[in-house]
Amino acid sequence: MTEAILEVTNLRKHYTSTRGLFSRGSAPVKAVDDVSFSIAPGEVLGLVGESGSGKSTVGRTVLRLHEPTSGTIRFGGEDITKAPAGRMRELRREMQIVFQDPFGSLNPRSRVSEIIGEALDLLGSLPRDQKRDRVVDLLQQVGLSGDHLRRFPHEFSGGQRQRLGIARALAVRPKLIVADEPVAALDVSIQAQIMNLLVDLQREIGVAMLFISHDLGLVEFIADRVMVMYLGRIVEVAPARDIYANPRHPYTKALLSAAPVADPRLAKRRERILLQGELPSPANPPSGCTFRTRCPFALPECAGERPAYRKVADQHFHACIRDDIAGGEEVREVMALAT
Amino acid sequence: MHYILRRCMTATATLFAVATLIFLLLHIVPGDPAEILLSGGGVAPSPESVEAMRVQLGLDRPLLEQYGSYLARIATGDLGQSFQDGFPIATEIITRLPRTLELVLAATLISVIIGLPAGLAAALKRGGALDGFLSSLASFGLSIPIFVTGTLLILLFSQTLRIVPAGGYVDFLESPAEHVIYLLMPAASIAVGLIPVVFRMVRASILEFLEKEWVRTARAKGLLERTVLIRHVIRNSLSPVVTVLGLHMGTLLGGTVLVEYVFNWPGLSGMLVRAVEQRDYPAVQGIVLVICLLFVLINLAVDLIYGILDPRVRYE
Amino acid sequence: MIKHTTLIFAALFLTTIVLLAVAAPMLPLVDPVKMDILGRMAGPSLAHPLGQDEYGRDVLSRIAFGARASLGVALTGAILAALVGVTLGLVGAYFQGWAEQATMRPLDVILSFPPMLLALLAVTLMGPGVQTLSVILALLFAPTYARVTFGEVLTVRNQEYIEAAKALGHRPTRILARTILPNVAGPILVQFSLVVAAGIVLESGLSFLGLGVVPPTPSWGLMVRGARPFMEANPLGLIWPCVALVLTVFSINRICDAMRDLFDPKASAAVLPVSRLLAGTGIGRSRARPAAPAAFDGTLLDIRHLSTEISTPRGTIRAIDGVSLQVKPGEAVALVGESGSGKSMTGLSVMQLLPRKVGRIADGEVWYASRDGQRTDLAHVPANLFRRFRGREMAMVFQEPMASLNPVYTVGFQLIEALTAHGQMTKRDAWDGARRMLERVGIPDPERRLNEYPHQLSGGMRQRVAIAIALCGDPSLIIADEPTTALDVTIQAQILDLLEEIQAAAGIGLVFITHNLGVVAEIADRVVVMYCGQVIEEGPVDDIFHNPRHPYTRGLLASVPRPEDMAGQHKRLSSIPGTVPSPLALPPGCRFAPRCDHATSACVVAVPELEAVSANQNTRCIRWKEI
Repeated sequence: MTEAILEVTNLRKHYTSTRGLFSRGSAPVKAVDDVSFSIAPGEVLGLVGESGSGKSTVGRTVLRLHEPTSGTIRFGGEDITKAPAGRMRELRREMQIVFQDPFGSLNPRSRVSEIIGEALDLLGSLPRDQKRDRVVDLLQQVGLSGDHLRRFPHEFSGGQRQRLGIARALAVRPKLIVADEPVAALDVSIQAQIMNLLVDLQREIGVAMLFISHDLGLVEFIADRVMVMYLGRIVEVAPARDIYANPRHPYTKALLSAAPVADPRLAKRRERILLQGELPSPANPPSGCTFRTRCPFALPECAGERPAYRKVADQHFHACIRDDIAGGEEVREVMALAT
Repeated sequence: MHYILRRCMTATATLFAVATLIFLLLHIVPGDPAEILLSGGGVAPSPESVEAMRVQLGLDRPLLEQYGSYLARIATGDLGQSFQDGFPIATEIITRLPRTLELVLAATLISVIIGLPAGLAAALKRGGALDGFLSSLASFGLSIPIFVTGTLLILLFSQTLRIVPAGGYVDFLESPAEHVIYLLMPAASIAVGLIPVVFRMVRASILEFLEKEWVRTARAKGLLERTVLIRHVIRNSLSPVVTVLGLHMGTLLGGTVLVEYVFNWPGLSGMLVRAVEQRDYPAVQGIVLVICLLFVLINLAVDLIYGILDPRVRYE
Repeated sequence: MIKHTTLIFAALFLTTIVLLAVAAPMLPLVDPVKMDILGRMAGPSLAHPLGQDEYGRDVLSRIAFGARASLGVALTGAILAALVGVTLGLVGAYFQGWAEQATMRPLDVILSFPPMLLALLAVTLMGPGVQTLSVILALLFAPTYARVTFGEVLTVRNQEYIEAAKALGHRPTRILARTILPNVAGPILVQFSLVVAAGIVLESGLSFLGLGVVPPTPSWGLMVRGARPFMEANPLGLIWPCVALVLTVFSINRICDAMRDLFDPKASAAVLPVSRLLAGTGIGRSRARPAAPAAFDGTLLDIRHLSTEISTPRGTIRAIDGVSLQVKPGEAVALVGESGSGKSMTGLSVMQLLPRKVGRIADGEVWYASRDGQRTDLAHVPANLFRRFRGREMAMVFQEPMASLNPVYTVGFQLIEALTAHGQMTKRDAWDGARRMLERVGIPDPERRLNEYPHQLSGGMRQRVAIAIALCGDPSLIIADEPTTALDVTIQAQILDLLEEIQAAAGIGLVFITHNLGVVAEIADRVVVMYCGQVIEEGPVDDIFHNPRHPYTRGLLASVPRPEDMAGQHKRLSSIPGTVPSPLALPPGCRFAPRCDHATSACVVAVPELEAVSANQNTRCIRWKEI
């Protein structure tokens, strides 16, 4: 196996709320709690979770846009956890981010030529016309054209803005792109355009990608491997095909069964694992397995130790102490007993 | 409970900081404060009088010691003696303070009584002729300095029409009716500047809350339009209006200085202006401290009212 | 237009005053301090156009030189304050943490002084004079700049384009200067003008008290002070400086307002010119009342050729254009479409909850069958009578559960309000009823929840409460507008189950508005697909998903990732090219033609009619047989 482009070990990010002079001492919010993973060059790793799972925080912390509380982040073999600001600025060119909100992620007072040109400047100054050509190149790469150079962001539709965001990220020729819900704010028909663009570009330039989304279908479409996150922790990680065909962790199963399927025949036939209740507060997570409070299969033992990762197949790990809930039939049986 | 406690602590801290700043101001100013305070008429004071002043102000002692005794003194309510006549400053403030408070209260009352319905009417008929007229009037009212309002009111009502006295004060116990007549013009002068503030805030927040989704929910429930308006629009817009009023109290308390001067109203300000003219630092310091205390207390009250009006703050 | 006249006047007046102030020493004016005892309080004359004051000095000249003093002091103070305040605000907000404490806390102390008092305190120590005044203004107004800058930077700071600049590896100084500053410059500029106005007011106030500008230097405040004792004999001497002062402050404020409207269109006082547009075209007045359809055919809701118009600043748009659809009791009809398709507007039109003043039903009928069998055309029910239907006959559930509940009332209050909207009830009964409603939507521990406020509940709970509120009037029809879009998948599954269960139990007709095809497949019996305000296809859910006829429906379905898409080396989602056209510039003919792979020249000639594909399915495509 080649050396990982990004290697994250025991990453934690805790937020302490500092509201005022007199309100200290509230429990820290454990947005990311002991997360380890790695991404190989050119690999697409999907990160799935619901709101509050900490998936976006992972994305921003590995780029050190937010400072990690503890753990190590290695980028291209170099430990960047404590890299000084100057070194970090150099490294930033090799790792980029594409944001969710196509309206908030572009400076409303800059023209397209400036938005992309600014990024190009970081690679070293280019003569004016060369720079212009390069910007046009990038625009064409993402399906826009040179006609758009003088325009402001508000003159574009959501999908086009997202293309601009991708062009800006590509401008510095990164080795890793964190895509944080890049299509969540777009209409279905536009979503597909952007997803295709991402897949094509990723293939073409072989950039590694951390694709963060709440939409299982999109992750399945784009990712080589998938991580499932719940309340700051990774509960299961496996090659994409594996995780959809053979999910092992009860949360993964529940998530898969809750996702609506765009097929009425299938939708009405299948059984669903309905999770009870809602996400506990990340400031005060349950002991042991954090999912146990909503898990239909929880045992008294689940409250004890934090479950260790267990290997089920090549590259397939999960953090559940039970082995006996593997098959689909089993699930249905338990559900029948529960009702 | 937690919320009230926190607000009270913040208010105390602010007061402490204000007291400290007032203390420091005397020392930050370049030059010897004693000399500055004495050099009123452009004549250099004699070294003896400067020395006497230094002793009187306690400037001969180390800074920290001065600070400590200063805090201890004001904590017990002792604001020192006036340079002018040597009377205790606190006593005079206590006789004059209620008159200033009365003025502020009357002005606020007038402003709310006029500003609230006007703002509501303008918001509901947004874009109409009434809205345009009231809004223009408000921006004009905001532009008149308070002493100009007062002076022009006197010119109009006392000099030209001769219906109200140009200024003065009669004790309430002596003659309630006359007392109110003397109160009328000063309070109105302050209100001219305050009504537009209330009006604008009410109009803006009603317009904002009219667009809220819960208003749509309330309509979808089948409530009467009047009920929707009172319960889900006006009720919600009270909190921002109260906040703005509280924030404006600072300007208001400052504005009374000018109004009291114009109308010869024997509140704190006559005393303050005289003290400033005479460079009577202990007196100025005492009055400023008391008014700041008032300001902080008003804002504390506003915070508490806000907590009652908006449950989200309470449970934060 | 009053607005424009005053603005033009303000600009002209301010220019004049500024020019007068700048050019005062060069103009052929009388010396402003030269006294003329014989001309005391003389009226206007050729030599003294505005008259003479109590010492016989020329009033016009004193106004001009007074402007110099006032504007000079105010501008110097405002600039000094801006330099200090903006820097502190930028640094405090961008770096936060200790930087924030160090920069913002001391300023809070200054803000807890009434400004006039702090000024008087400073005058006591420094003595009156122009320099003192400038310093005081700077001291007083630096905190307000810092506050404004701080607040603006905080909102901008969390924008993703700032993170993007950071992610690219730009230096903090560059981000502050190049990315943040231009985005907060507008409000700071507004603040600057406000401070200049406030500075003029404060300077004149202090001078009026005799504690500001030192005589004989002319100042407007001093002029008022001087003329006051003589107001009976010479009212003009008092009025001139007052007029100058008021108009100058007014002009600055007026220009400020205009600037604010420019920078922040949302806070704008400007209004859409719609109220007049719509005046007199109230619903039901201009059109003849159509006769009710003869027989009750079992439909609960029958929308026929409904069109709704929305007035926007750029013109009136037809948000929905000739929409027809039917809902039977106990049936779930999904209204599917992308943003701008008009699906939400359809729901709001039925409930007469269109945006006030800007939206109106332009055409069509909405037949609704009440419980007593009576049929009413809702589109022609006047607004004041419509209340009868809302809540009791039909209810609505909205997308954002937080926004659709009033934050200042308890859950119980809002439920009881819905229960008692259509009839009296004792307190006890209402409370019991509210508790039962919460039980019905599966909220554990309902007694406790009744006393809680919306912000104390999670998103899923809030949506359950919103559904409970909708159920309070025991409606026959529920319109749910994207009720699960704001929720997570696992919570969405819970809410969908709940809706399905309630609908089945009570035989409620459900209109489910959504963009999510997966949700449609889960909940719908029939599907209506909308595009650009029109229904382009409708039919039973199985037919729509497995036998779609319209190219748009096909494209939409194909855009959803399926297992087939992942196969092989060439991952590909089928997508629809282009974007949804602007409602202000709709293409002629078929509205989907510009994005359609199958479009021919015939498609752009006329808007296609909805054609029957089978007994249950209709589509709006002239080529459906060929494709």
